[in-house]
Amino acid sequence: MNYVKKLVFVILCTLLLAACAEKDNSNASNTGEKSTTESDTASSKNELVIAVNENFISMDPHNTGDTNSSSVQETMLEGLLGFDADGQIMKVLADDYSISEDALEYTFKLQEGVTFHDGEQFNAEAVKANIERIMNDESLRLYSRGFSLISKVEILGDYEIKVTLKEPYGPMITRFGVAKMISPKMIKENLADIPKQPVGTGPYKFVEWVQGDHLTIENFDGYWGGGDRVSKITYKPVPENGSRVAMLKAGDAQVIYPVPAQNIDELSNNKDVEINKVPSTIAHYVSLNTYKKPLDDIKVRQAFNYAVDKEAYLKVVNAGLGLPLDSIIPSKTVYYKQQKMYEHNIEKAKELLTEAGYPNGFDIEIWGNTNSDTMKGMQFIQQQLSQIGVKVEIKSMEEGTLSDEIYGAQTPDDAKLQMWYVSWSAYASDITNATKPLFHSVSFPPNGANTAYYQNPEADQLMDEANSISDVDRQAELYEKLQEIVYQDTPWIFLGVDEVVYGVRSNVSGVLVNPTGGLDVKNAKVE
Amino acid sequence: MWKYTAKRIVEMIPILIVISILTFLFIHLIPGDPARLVAGKDATLEDVENVRHELGLDKPILKQYVDYMKNLLTGELGTSLTTGLPVIDMFKTRFMPSLHLTFLSMFWATLIGLMIGVFSAINKNKWPDYFGMVTAVSGISIPGFWLGLLLIQLFSVQLGLFPTGGLDGFSSYILPSLTLGAGIMSMIARFTRSSMLETLQADFIRTGRAKGLKEHSVIVTHALRNSLISVVTVAGLQFGFLLGGSVVVETVFSFPGMGRLLIDSIAFRDYPVIQSALLLFAFEFIVVNLIVDVLYTVLNPKIQLDS
Repeated sequence: MNYVKKLVFVILCTLLLAACAEKDNSNASNTGEKSTTESDTASSKNELVIAVNENFISMDPHNTGDTNSSSVQETMLEGLLGFDADGQIMKVLADDYSISEDALEYTFKLQEGVTFHDGEQFNAEAVKANIERIMNDESLRLYSRGFSLISKVEILGDYEIKVTLKEPYGPMITRFGVAKMISPKMIKENLADIPKQPVGTGPYKFVEWVQGDHLTIENFDGYWGGGDRVSKITYKPVPENGSRVAMLKAGDAQVIYPVPAQNIDELSNNKDVEINKVPSTIAHYVSLNTYKKPLDDIKVRQAFNYAVDKEAYLKVVNAGLGLPLDSIIPSKTVYYKQQKMYEHNIEKAKELLTEAGYPNGFDIEIWGNTNSDTMKGMQFIQQQLSQIGVKVEIKSMEEGTLSDEIYGAQTPDDAKLQMWYVSWSAYASDITNATKPLFHSVSFPPNGANTAYYQNPEADQLMDEANSISDVDRQAELYEKLQEIVYQDTPWIFLGVDEVVYGVRSNVSGVLVNPTGGLDVKNAKVE
Repeated sequence: MWKYTAKRIVEMIPILIVISILTFLFIHLIPGDPARLVAGKDATLEDVENVRHELGLDKPILKQYVDYMKNLLTGELGTSLTTGLPVIDMFKTRFMPSLHLTFLSMFWATLIGLMIGVFSAINKNKWPDYFGMVTAVSGISIPGFWLGLLLIQLFSVQLGLFPTGGLDGFSSYILPSLTLGAGIMSMIARFTRSSMLETLQADFIRTGRAKGLKEHSVIVTHALRNSLISVVTVAGLQFGFLLGGSVVVETVFSFPGMGRLLIDSIAFRDYPVIQSALLLFAFEFIVVNLIVDVLYTVLNPKIQLDS
């Protein structure tokens, strides 16, 4: 029994050691039962811990493609324009702005009395330095998204600046919202540190980023916009769903995003926790290759749309969350116009297939990635289409392989793709990105994501015209027409639009998620 | 022993070169265009070509490899394609937590495994033996992700003793290391038990007992020491696997280690990170094997490594 005593002794020693380590730990973010005691400590310190599902990739606002990194940047950095809770454009560092009729000149009047976290002044010089950084550096993501079209940046006064484009570009206004301002001193002297520790004008300033573990920001006392907010926020990437939920329940995190669908009911019954749902701009669809048989026949494509029950899709695949996709764009996207949906009607679908010359159906492939939700979605489509005699073979591929298979095709003739189960998300304020890469004939792979190889000269012309003017009423008219035409042509099986779900501890307020899935905690408070 | 160690260290160089070539080729052969993944799905062909040029991916593979090796020799591991950060900086924050986690897991696994093994052997076919072996079989049968979630639910959510995840002081290591070490603990327990049972039947043990040695001395000094060789072999091999194989545990506990970094990098086809991480794992594996071989002579001086 001597060994048993030793074993017990060692385990006790370790537990003691762990307890001591915890006591020494001044960071109150990370302990259990805490659910009341420790989280109360965090609350009294006016701090937040936010658990998100993915790692942050870069803190360079001019080179960011993922929503998670953008959300963190939003707290530290501000652009001339920004996005409100509905994802629409609002003024931030710009006091006012105007766009010329030919959509080539953008003039901004700037907020005065704004300073960067390093003490630099925000003025027209600072804006010029930022815009020129993006328009001159080809490796930056924003370069190819509009900023390469800028021909000149002119300072009109200390707080007024004019940007001229070489050609009209509809989404430019959204790009100004995405392009956050970095301290000109940093751009001049310390370019390499921008992806690691950016300096902006936002309500929070950067403190520390340990890759893969946490990123911490703290309240910036000299913030020009004033306001009352939590003093410190720690973001933690927690990819495992169960762990994220455990953190919220234990009070180790005050906000988790997203909440896994299977845990919504359980968390909704927890009095310490609030669950919120927001309609998003994430559209799910099956892209149908309209260039090749049998999907080149509109009747076949319409038959597919009648055969798939959208309500059942949301219940089975999306855990009951979301809304049916009733246009070519989600309802939160600017200029959205609801279309008459293809109601679930198996008989009509069969009739259409017979008219198209396929009374007994046919065999077809559907492609998708290896994600379990995608698999579930593809199986659902397989089951639904089997009811009209169409035999669907599922081919799931790892994301990189799938991307090669799809974008490897240099011409529509090369394409092996028949159906692709996928989703698309664009800024709510950017209808160009929600339409042109998907439906314009210049966007066939590998040049864009028009994987339906959809081609309609009228649609092309509508998109081109809308993109070349600044008149919003005319744009609305053109985009409404576009939605009607493309929805009728059915290059997709229109499925659903996601709702994003986030959870907060009951004592936390002011946390929002916008339709693009960006987490906004700039006005978060802990009671 | 020193001569042998030096020889083995020199031998590591060609092995690492071959590994670097193979990993370089493999990661370039797997489908998936990093330029397309970095540029994003709404990128045009021109954007993708810009990114490819910027990342140097438009150069011939041989040139890319030579450049990579040249940089490696100067201690430069390149820049991550996704984050734009130097790979070495990314490793700095990830490597030590992974190493500490591995060491702690091995510590638990060896300590508890040895105890269970010895205890089971000296109580063969009695209830402590059955109990020990049930524990050992459970440790190896329960999947890591499930055990991890179970421990989080019990010790973090219910009892509030440890953090649910992340890295925040020593207490953050306890649950992940127990989860990671469970499988190895079981293997060590089973190997120790069978090895001890065999040794306890040996003539020198009988002689020792006949000479009146204390039971404690027979078990620890003679039987256990002689049983350790096979245990060290198993532990050494497992240790090598642990260094790179902690992906599941690191994911469940949101632990910022090398395993998670590698998986994330593979998803993005982040060549410089994948290449350097694989090379580092290979290096660690070789070093651990060398240490195991050297340990043999310490445990049993009769083993002549030089010969």
